[in-house]
Amino acid sequence: MLDFNALISEKSTNKQALSGTVLKQINTQISNQINTGVLVLDAEFNIVLWNRFLQVHTDKDAANIIGQSIFIAFPELPERWLSRKLSAVLQLNTPSFCSWQQRHHLFELPHTRQITTDSEFMAQNCTFLPIDTDCEHKHICILIEDVTDVCHYQGQLQKTLAELAQMSRIDGLTQIYNRRHWQDSLVQEYAKSRRHTKNLSLMMLDLDHFKLLNDNYGHQCGDMVLIEISALISSLLRVEDIFGRYGGEEFAIILPETNLTGAMELAQRICHSIATAPLKYNGQVIKVTVSLGVAPLSEQTSSYEELITHADLALYQAKAQGRNQVCSATNMATA
Amino acid sequence: MSEFHLTEDQQDCLQELINIAMGQASDQLARYLDTFVYLKVPSIESIDAKDLLQTLSQQKNTMAVVSQGFFGYEGIRGEALLSYQEEDSGRIGDLLGYEPDELSQDEQLIDISSILTTTFLNVFARQIDNQMSYNAPKLLPSVQNCLSEHLQEMTFNWDLALKININYQVTDYSFNCNMILLIPETAIINIKKVLDRILAEF
Amino acid sequence: MSPSVLICDDSNMARKQVLRSLPEQWKTSAQIASNGAEALTILRDNSIEVLFLDLTMPGIDGIGVLQGIKKLNLDCSVFVISADIQPEMQAKVKALGAKEFIRKPVKPDVLISHLQQHGLL
Repeated sequence: MLDFNALISEKSTNKQALSGTVLKQINTQISNQINTGVLVLDAEFNIVLWNRFLQVHTDKDAANIIGQSIFIAFPELPERWLSRKLSAVLQLNTPSFCSWQQRHHLFELPHTRQITTDSEFMAQNCTFLPIDTDCEHKHICILIEDVTDVCHYQGQLQKTLAELAQMSRIDGLTQIYNRRHWQDSLVQEYAKSRRHTKNLSLMMLDLDHFKLLNDNYGHQCGDMVLIEISALISSLLRVEDIFGRYGGEEFAIILPETNLTGAMELAQRICHSIATAPLKYNGQVIKVTVSLGVAPLSEQTSSYEELITHADLALYQAKAQGRNQVCSATNMATA
Repeated sequence: MSEFHLTEDQQDCLQELINIAMGQASDQLARYLDTFVYLKVPSIESIDAKDLLQTLSQQKNTMAVVSQGFFGYEGIRGEALLSYQEEDSGRIGDLLGYEPDELSQDEQLIDISSILTTTFLNVFARQIDNQMSYNAPKLLPSVQNCLSEHLQEMTFNWDLALKININYQVTDYSFNCNMILLIPETAIINIKKVLDRILAEF
Repeated sequence: MSPSVLICDDSNMARKQVLRSLPEQWKTSAQIASNGAEALTILRDNSIEVLFLDLTMPGIDGIGVLQGIKKLNLDCSVFVISADIQPEMQAKVKALGAKEFIRKPVKPDVLISHLQQHGLL
């Protein structure tokens, strides 16, 4: 059926000369056992031969396919594009390629991984080769490789990488950003606000008497409170706000394009919501409050670290003034 | 001067072979694209492996690099890297005769690269009585960091790179593309043998 | 009696290739130039009857030499031998007075038949 003369060199038969017929049988069997689709076209793109791989992967009538135009036999092919590509092969006498990464498949062939892949069809790498024979006209050989596995694993890899990237940014307990990612974001937001002279505020908050809560109700209760409080605060934020766990029971929020007034309003709302939140552990009502410090970016602020220091000092002041309240850096004598 | 460097005669011979190959390739391209391709005879430099990265990183706005392996008889093999500048990418699909919605920009770059590489190397191979096979061309992901990684991760040690600057000017279109042929050590020795054989004929 | 011949090409190999293709009796007297400026100097100071000219050269290129020959009003048969084989280029050099356009790499039988065609052999 298919004569792979190039594959099996005549020279290799010197020792034990094989007849042309035997060589032909070997070539035919190789072409029929090979796990790659082989399709040969004439210069008018009519099918001259195809191998077993294609026969068993399509339910096309083998009797009619030979002599048929490839575009009639495989109506799913993008005719204009592929004709142009095939003409290049004939005219320039060069090979041409089509990878699954650009086009998942050309030929609609079912694959053998029915369940685990999301595409119905076999992912393919196709190669178009110019073939010179004794025949006056050139032929084109199309090799169709099944790369469904490659495509599938590449997809899995991308998904895993995305998950890993996400995980490296998230605090395992509270599912909000961890400190590293939060701080990276602050560096960016700080630079952005400076560049575009936009407002930026920072809020630091700390659970009041958290150690006592842990001592009285156990660490599981403490964890529950951290989770509930994180969720509650998240529900009060805008999408552009960046909320992270700064330390044990300390949280921090970056508020882009927010002035002091806006940040103070939000802080008060958070303070009130938490103080009135109906938190329960083992049927017992638990009262939790937070202290908050707010610092806006000002012309005098020389670095993002300084902004953190200001918010931290305001938080310290809120604690000193009796907790369950908000302080701003600008109210402070030192600011 | 290491054993991998070309002598003056070898360099002259190679330059002439490449000029001829480029001339015939551009003639073929002009027929295929059905337009006049003005192709300046390329400047060819052989550069040391260690200088290549520097040369490449000096190129501003490099938008994409496409790589394609080639291999012929007598151990002539290597990898072609084609790099494009941002401003050159817009109308390659147009130039190739495709409709805008027929193929993505990535595919356009891969297509033109493959055509340039294989057309040129086929003619070049014919000049030295050889024949080339090719790997499927690959677009290297995000150029800046990946190029150096790519160069380091190659399976062969290459000491010499031939940098061929191709400047295509086609009526209504124009773009610049650098073709760099990376040649591994053993292949350089083999090319030198071929060049010496050609030179001996004179 | 062999004519005075000049071969102008920046590539040493290409020059040798032309030289090798010449009729036996022409070979010894052929002069060479490796760029356009050199060629024009030789053309001016000697009476060169046949010039084999490459097109792409640093400095004054083949087109420049053809223009120089016109300007100096020299009587010299020019055979352009070039790798740039697109029809537009062939037309251009013919318009500038070149007798023939020969594609690289030059083959002895092709060169000889062109010389015969133009009555030089």
